[in-house]
Amino acid sequence: MTDDTTRDDELLRELRALIEQADSPPAEVAEFAKAALGWRRLDTDLAELLADSVLDMSGVRSGEGARRLTFEAGDLSLDLEVRPEEGEGRQLLGQVAPAPTTATVEAQSGDGELIATAVCDELGRFRLSLPGGGRVRLRIRLEPPAAPVETSWFSL
Amino acid sequence: MPVSDSSLEELVRAAADGDQEAWNAVVDRFQNLVWATARAHRLSRDDAADVAQTTWLRLVENLGRIRDPERIGGWLATTARRECLRHIRLHARELPTEDADVFEAPSDEDAVAALLTTERDSALWRAFVRLSERCQTLLRLLVSQEDPSYEEISAALEMPVGAIGPTRMRCLEKLRSFTGADPAFQGGAV
Repeated sequence: MTDDTTRDDELLRELRALIEQADSPPAEVAEFAKAALGWRRLDTDLAELLADSVLDMSGVRSGEGARRLTFEAGDLSLDLEVRPEEGEGRQLLGQVAPAPTTATVEAQSGDGELIATAVCDELGRFRLSLPGGGRVRLRIRLEPPAAPVETSWFSL
Repeated sequence: MPVSDSSLEELVRAAADGDQEAWNAVVDRFQNLVWATARAHRLSRDDAADVAQTTWLRLVENLGRIRDPERIGGWLATTARRECLRHIRLHARELPTEDADVFEAPSDEDAVAALLTTERDSALWRAFVRLSERCQTLLRLLVSQEDPSYEEISAALEMPVGAIGPTRMRCLEKLRSFTGADPAFQGGAV
């Protein structure tokens, strides 16, 4: 038993050296992670990603169905439907509930750039056309003094 | 207090208050775990980097409301696993074929193999990638940290803590049988 344990430890040690040499995490990932602390916006409320139909195994997973995402920040919820547009584009159809009196929704790309803006209608619905996929988040500007709400990052 | 003397709980609390040095220490401590989880799901290095970044963004978003800082390793592993599944399904959807293989994201095992210089290392790598996905994942996680936590591994693999020991033994046995059959794997004490 002791011999086996030693042999196992030896083999694991060798495997560790191998993976460290050939497949260690790229430095960019750690740099990105470290920098991300500075990108926090403490003046906003986080709308957490609660549901994503892509992770729903029970649902229909034909290529036809649009992807649906649900975010929540306190009493406010945001439902989102993602539809492919021509080329690489994506259309986001969303609804904020309960419907705010006035609200503007902004989409921000992974590099922090503002890529689309829409105004909610009286039912809290909005439509955003995005030029491509990648990582995005939405910022919902509500009527002051309500703090803006920002979704978790999500990939399209 | 110097970062090196701080407990994980102190580091996480300090990071939540914006302490960059404390946050850097958290990232350094868990970056191997997050990376190993992503690579273990057979994502290419590029896709694994994308998933790892998303995982770290999730932690940053939630820093202010971590209830149990001692367990963020498990939290990170669970989050990384979920982001891997999201990534794999999202990209599988885009492919026109119903082929079952679409769930096998392309891996760049050959690129890794190219970095290995000795025959023995190459043979070990060849044997490693022949293992089942579960074995590769478990072994990667076991070697991803100096002192691997079974709780974190359990979260990353959705495997009961009690199953880790026996699975570890089986996977190493398998790995040894593969390397034993490869004449290039010689000369060590293993």
